Amino acid sequence: MEQIVSGKSQVSALSAISEAFALIIDGKSLAYALEDDMKNIFLELAIGCASVICCRSSPKQKALVTRLVKLGTGKTTLAIGDGANDVGMLQEADIGIGISGVEGMQAVMSSDVAIAQFRYLERLLLVHGHWCYRRISSMICYFFYKNIAFGFTIFLYEAYTSFSAQPAYNDWYLTLFNVFFSSLPVIAMGVFDQDVSARFCLKFPLLYQEGVQNVLFSWRRIVSWMFNGFYSAIIIFFFCSRALEQQAFNDEGKIASKDILGGTMYTCIVWVVNLQMALSISYFTLIQHIVIWGTIAFWYVFQLAYGALPASFSTDAYRVFVEALAPAPSYWFITLFVVIATLTPYFLYSAIQMRFFPMYHEMIQWIRHEGLSDDPLYCEMVRQRSIRPTTVGFTARRAASRRQ
Amino acid sequence: MDTNGATTSSAAGGGSTSKSSSKKHSRKPVYSRFTQQELPACKPILTPGLVIATFTIIGIIFIPLGLVSLSASEKVVEIVDRYDESCVPSDYSNDKLKFIQNPSINKSCVRTLTVPKLMKSPVFIYYQLDNYYQNHRRYVKSRSDKQLRSVSDEKSTKDCSPEDKTVDGPIVPCGLVAWSLFNDTYGFSVNSKTIEVNKHDIAWKSDKEHKFGSNVYPKNFQSGGLIGGAKLNSSVPLSKQEDLMVWMRTAALPTFRKLYGKIEQDLQANEKIQVVIQNNYNTYSFSGKKKLVLSTTSWIGGKNDFLGIAYIIVGGLCLFLAVCFILLYVIKPRPLGDPSYLSWNRSPAGHPN
Repeated sequence: MEQIVSGKSQVSALSAISEAFALIIDGKSLAYALEDDMKNIFLELAIGCASVICCRSSPKQKALVTRLVKLGTGKTTLAIGDGANDVGMLQEADIGIGISGVEGMQAVMSSDVAIAQFRYLERLLLVHGHWCYRRISSMICYFFYKNIAFGFTIFLYEAYTSFSAQPAYNDWYLTLFNVFFSSLPVIAMGVFDQDVSARFCLKFPLLYQEGVQNVLFSWRRIVSWMFNGFYSAIIIFFFCSRALEQQAFNDEGKIASKDILGGTMYTCIVWVVNLQMALSISYFTLIQHIVIWGTIAFWYVFQLAYGALPASFSTDAYRVFVEALAPAPSYWFITLFVVIATLTPYFLYSAIQMRFFPMYHEMIQWIRHEGLSDDPLYCEMVRQRSIRPTTVGFTARRAASRRQ
Repeated sequence: MDTNGATTSSAAGGGSTSKSSSKKHSRKPVYSRFTQQELPACKPILTPGLVIATFTIIGIIFIPLGLVSLSASEKVVEIVDRYDESCVPSDYSNDKLKFIQNPSINKSCVRTLTVPKLMKSPVFIYYQLDNYYQNHRRYVKSRSDKQLRSVSDEKSTKDCSPEDKTVDGPIVPCGLVAWSLFNDTYGFSVNSKTIEVNKHDIAWKSDKEHKFGSNVYPKNFQSGGLIGGAKLNSSVPLSKQEDLMVWMRTAALPTFRKLYGKIEQDLQANEKIQVVIQNNYNTYSFSGKKKLVLSTTSWIGGKNDFLGIAYIIVGGLCLFLAVCFILLYVIKPRPLGDPSYLSWNRSPAGHPN
């Protein structure tokens, strides 16, 4: 008890001058340190140290230490182990990583992620961890965006049908929007997207901080994407309905009925939602090209196929594309205009942000683009100036302060 | 505290590496670019050149398109004449409903339209209705497409109620959409010479050939107590009832026009056209408006300046943005990769924002 208290006062006294401490405790002492009256002080001491080594501890103690840290600090904990004695610890931690190999498969079977060697942990965290964080946050934000853009046009149309719940689009168009016309690009983004390649993730390990600090899924970002959806829907709806008012729709004097307005607006939505995807990712493999352009092409194919079904099934979408929409120049003019007008604000925002307020991964993209990625001095400068004082160990901090 | 580091919390992987590399049968998975996520990829970023080029191209394409659309729309000549207020005789001006619902009063009305510019044939005649919600859900549902297509489905009227059947059998065509068929008629003459109105080919071809059957004849139509609109000639099949087909193609918005017919002769400038209107249709009970429209068309359609003006505005804006970006990049270049702009370095002590 005294040792713990004196150790704690040592740490707090010297923390002001950036001294790093390590705590070493063995199994027998751990048994006392983990008792209820002592464990909070022990935890505070351990948190103040740069690193803690608990040796000769039993499996139960490993699990208890993990639980203490997890509950006491409220942060995400990761445990890695390869033997059967690590099972308790792996299960207790938020993320348990098992190493398969010498000591058998027990650790692997009770873990969340299994790797073959300890050194692969670096790649797991810095490369895959960063990619996964980015993919999931982008995917969720984009999902909100595309559904808001689609649903809000329907809501705006309701204002013109005296809120009688008449949708602007044909029933099957409504149903299949999230199945055929906007799902594959998002899935491709969630599975394959990379903002920087694996090599750069390892070279600039501070990229991982984007996940720790939750910069890509902050409330501000979520709300901005939703706002993007809202204003896209507003632009699409009002421009389409203003351009297709009561005047003749084509040179034969025919008028734009509900199916024509619905078909035009839906075309604009499909284009906008897919081109927005193309604007927000910066990694185009063959897969991305196929799903984005393929989805847009499939919309036209679908209109042809669905319109060719007998009118008893396709109701008001019967032959709409072939007969009314495709031959009319105003359809193509309106589509081109509405799509570009909707995406220009986002493009403008993106251009300004990329150049004047880039995020860390965007800076790395610039470095790669400029070809400076192999210049060790430049990279060192980027890395060192990015370091926060509390996240790295003693020697690195001293080196950084000397450099400054 | 001990300084011994015998059993550590993390496993020592060093021992296993030498053993696995000496195994002859390697368990390393087969390398493929797809599974290692190293597919050949294009990684574009928004360089200044790309941004400026994009805005310039959009501006260069949009402004001519806008000018072309605007000039086409300006060439269209349109005459709009609202007649529902003035076509009610003065003794009924306070009780228009009584006027319109009384079948014995003469509903004729004569209007004079002046042609502002030369209108080349074909001149299209439309009737425009305001505040008429043809896109209301219950109204849109109240029809039976099956019945319209074939005689054998005469009895499938389930969505049409209350206009589905009478004591004599099912109503063909059933439903509120058909029941409310517009029934004002217009007769045109200039210098006491009647102008022919062509009422053929005013409906879409797919309506005539596929949606309305050629062996389906109107039956029991408008025979009930409440008459909602026009009556139909029961010896003409539905596929030839052009007015019905045009009316049944429901409009998108509450203000809409529908094609009434075509005039296939030129109308000279400053000609005075006499129109004899039968003001039958009741729009007075819901403060709707009725207008008669004569309009020519251009290759893009009718008169709507919005698209042309909007193209020009957006094109101009994009060119302006391109110029702004050029100035910005020239005046305020930024060193790339400057980490002082990182979010966690901008706030003091590196606190998360």
